[in-house]
Amino acid sequence: MTTSAEPGTPLDDVTLVGRAKDGDVQAYEQLVLRYQGPMFRLAVKMLAHRGDAEDVVQEVFLNAWRKLDQLGEDAAFVGWLYRATTNRCLNVIRARKPQADVDLDTAESPRADLQPERAAQVSGQLAALNAALAQLTPEQRACWLLREVHGRSYEEIGEVVGANATAVRGRIARARAQLAEVMKPWR
Amino acid sequence: MAMTDYELPCERDVEQVWERLDAVGAGLADEHELTCPHCRAARESLLALREATTELVAEDDVPPALFGRIMSAVRAEVRRGSMVALPTPEPGFVEISEQAVAAVLRYAADTVDGVRARRCRVRTGVDGVVEVELTLAVSVRNVAGGAALALVRERVTAAAAARVGLTLAKLDLLVDDVYGEPGE
Repeated sequence: MTTSAEPGTPLDDVTLVGRAKDGDVQAYEQLVLRYQGPMFRLAVKMLAHRGDAEDVVQEVFLNAWRKLDQLGEDAAFVGWLYRATTNRCLNVIRARKPQADVDLDTAESPRADLQPERAAQVSGQLAALNAALAQLTPEQRACWLLREVHGRSYEEIGEVVGANATAVRGRIARARAQLAEVMKPWR
Repeated sequence: MAMTDYELPCERDVEQVWERLDAVGAGLADEHELTCPHCRAARESLLALREATTELVAEDDVPPALFGRIMSAVRAEVRRGSMVALPTPEPGFVEISEQAVAAVLRYAADTVDGVRARRCRVRTGVDGVVEVELTLAVSVRNVAGGAALALVRERVTAAAAARVGLTLAKLDLLVDDVYGEPGE
C-alpha cells in the first residue's frame, strides 16, 4: 500500500487550514510550527521586547484558532496572521506609557533583555539598525519590516495598516531613507 | 520626481538611488552615477542598510518554550463538535464526536497516493443516518483519474465501518484543489 503521508512532504497551508477548521489540533500544530517564527520576529522588532513579543504571538495564534471559521478563504491564512500580529503590536505600543521625553539611551533599554553573550555578537551595523528602527513611527516600522524583512506585497501591507499601496510605498521609501541615514557612520 | 523629500544635493532622490542599486552594482551606472559624490554616499549607506537587514532577519531565534505555550492555550479550547451515536446492541448508548470520526476518515483518505484530505464534514440526521462530505486536494498525477477517487471512497467507507462502526449513508467527495509535486 502506498501512502501520500511520507515524512518530508509537508502538507500545504490550505489543507492544514481546512483540517484545523474541522477542529484538527495536529493540523493546527503544523501551522503554528510553520509560522510562529516569522510572527515572533515581526513582533520582537516591532516591540523591541522579547517577552511582549511572545505574549503577542501566543494571543495571535490562540485568537486565530478561535476564529478560524471566520476566515473566508483558506489560502488567506498567512496574510491574516501578519495582519493580526501587526495590529496587536501597534495596540501594545499605544497602550505603553508615553515615551516622548525619554532620551535615546532609555529608549533602547528594552533590548537589555537579550542574553549578554548574544548581545555581544550583535554587529555594529545591526545595533545601529535596531536603534534606528526604534526611532521610526510604529506604523512606518511595521511597513518597512513587512516589506523588507517579510517580503509582503504593498497591497497586503496597505490592508494591514489601512492605507493604499501608493501611500505604503511612500512610507517605506521614507523609512528606508531614514534608516540609511543612520547607517552612515558604520559604512 | 521626489517621492520622499529625501532629495540629495544633486537633486536625485534616495529612492531613485535605491532602485538603481543593483544596476549600478552590475556596472550599468550612468554618467551621473559614476561621478556624483552624493549618489555614491547614498549608495554606500543603502548597501550598509541592506547588509544589516540580512543580519536582522537572522537575529532573533524563537524562544523554545513559545510553541508549547501556544499549543496548551489552543488545546484548552479544543472544539469537540457534535456527537454521533454509534449503533450498539447493548442497552445505553455509545457516542463519538464528529471530530474524531472526521480524523479517522481523513486518515483513511490520506493513505491513497496523491490525495490529501482537507475538510471533512460529518452530519447525523434525526434518524441516525450519517452523511459525510470530504474535501480533497489531489496531486496533478491524479487529476484525470477517477481511480484514485474510487480508492478514496472504498477506503473511507471501509474505515468508517471497521474503525468506527458506522455505515455511511452518503459520502460526497469534493476535489477543490490540485497540487504539484517536487520533481514534476
